[in-house]
Amino acid sequence: MRVFRTIDQLLRGRHTGPQEGGIEVRADTLLLAIAILGVAYGAFMGLYAALRGGSNAALQMVASMAKVPLLFLLTLVVTFPSLYVFSALARSRLTFEATLRLLLGAMTVNMALLASFGPVTGFFTLSTESYPFVVILNVAFFAISGLIGLSFLRTSLTGVFEADSVLPRAAWQVPTAPQTEAPRNPPEAKARAGGAAKDVFRLWTVIYAVVGAQMGWILRPFVGDPHRPFQLFRERQGNFFIAVLEALESLFR
Amino acid sequence: MTALAEIEDLLRGQGRFGDPSGPMPWRPLVAVGLAGGLFYGAVMGSYGLQPRQALYSALKVPLLVGVSTVTCLPNLYTVNAALGLGPDFPLVMRAILMAQGTVAVVLAGLAPITAFFYFGIADYGAAVAINGLIFLVSALAGQVTLSRGYRSLVAANPRHRIGRAAWLTLYLFVGIQAAWLLRPFVGDPALSTRFFRSEAWGNAYVEVATLLWRVLTSR
Repeated sequence: MRVFRTIDQLLRGRHTGPQEGGIEVRADTLLLAIAILGVAYGAFMGLYAALRGGSNAALQMVASMAKVPLLFLLTLVVTFPSLYVFSALARSRLTFEATLRLLLGAMTVNMALLASFGPVTGFFTLSTESYPFVVILNVAFFAISGLIGLSFLRTSLTGVFEADSVLPRAAWQVPTAPQTEAPRNPPEAKARAGGAAKDVFRLWTVIYAVVGAQMGWILRPFVGDPHRPFQLFRERQGNFFIAVLEALESLFR
Repeated sequence: MTALAEIEDLLRGQGRFGDPSGPMPWRPLVAVGLAGGLFYGAVMGSYGLQPRQALYSALKVPLLVGVSTVTCLPNLYTVNAALGLGPDFPLVMRAILMAQGTVAVVLAGLAPITAFFYFGIADYGAAVAINGLIFLVSALAGQVTLSRGYRSLVAANPRHRIGRAAWLTLYLFVGIQAAWLLRPFVGDPALSTRFFRSEAWGNAYVEVATLLWRVLTSR
């Protein structure tokens, strides 16, 4: 139950106030939350193949349930080092572990939103035969929840950078100026820190979005076309963006 | 308190429906929603004067609203929490339920108009169109109550505008598909009476996309 309380608190922004300076939730709790929410949405995704009795429908269901959390965790593995490097370059106070927790927090928010779309996906899965429609619906839900996860990350990063510039330095840090002068001009410092956070965020968002989309492409199929034999992974060809355009085109035919 | 006085309070947003700090008036809202939906459904389904179709349509209207609401509820909660509006969630729920109650009351109030037009027309397409119009008017009336409920929320935190827009978008998206699945609501007298149409189990958006493609390419 603690996991669900953590998810709720994260969603409500309890851990992202400027005074927090990072997310004070254990990384393993966040990982568990991501896994639970991902498996839940994966179940709704896999329902399409499971109900239509394609070859190895049950296998596709299990694969979808495993792939959704995997998609996010693998994207995290690939993109985490770059966020850490950039935020360190921008002189954030975030340590390696705090950056990880921040990213896991953003991902938890992303997954919570995605999971909340689960019943809608399930509803359309029950009533839709069109495979391209279900694929596009899922892409849309991933995109919307991804955008909200990113806005959570932006809020958190701005909070962290602002906290850095207005809070007194920690005891172990060598002060570059007398303590009394550090917060001399907080609004200006805030604006500067906010600017740095924005730069870090912009750069990293591009990396995260491109890697995430391509990761989804590599791990496909998520929904599983019932007219094709079950494959854990499809052959490597094309890319995410071309595939979405093709799905849109086939929807109109 | 008489039922009529409750309905009037709901429409005017006064009494226990006007005091956001009071407890949520669950029972009258559910009762009004069910009664209004059942009544309008029964009138809507009486086009072909087949009692069975009237009964089916009566059941379908509350079912349509219930299915759409339950499907979208987890997202409503999550979006509000993510927007930092979590503490206001009971007030948001209250505004939404009151809006749905209003839609049901307005539908019931417009039912005589539907019945009146049924007398004068023999065209099934026109009967469907009238119902579409009545639903549109009722939905707009629901927006009046929703706006009333949201006014103080938006004043306190403008992000409620986003929450409201997100809810309406998803609710409409799901509601259209739910209505498509539950059809026929009016019931073509030329066809046999059924709860579901055998060919209805499809996707409204795919149908529209296919139709558009045919029109655009003249196939």
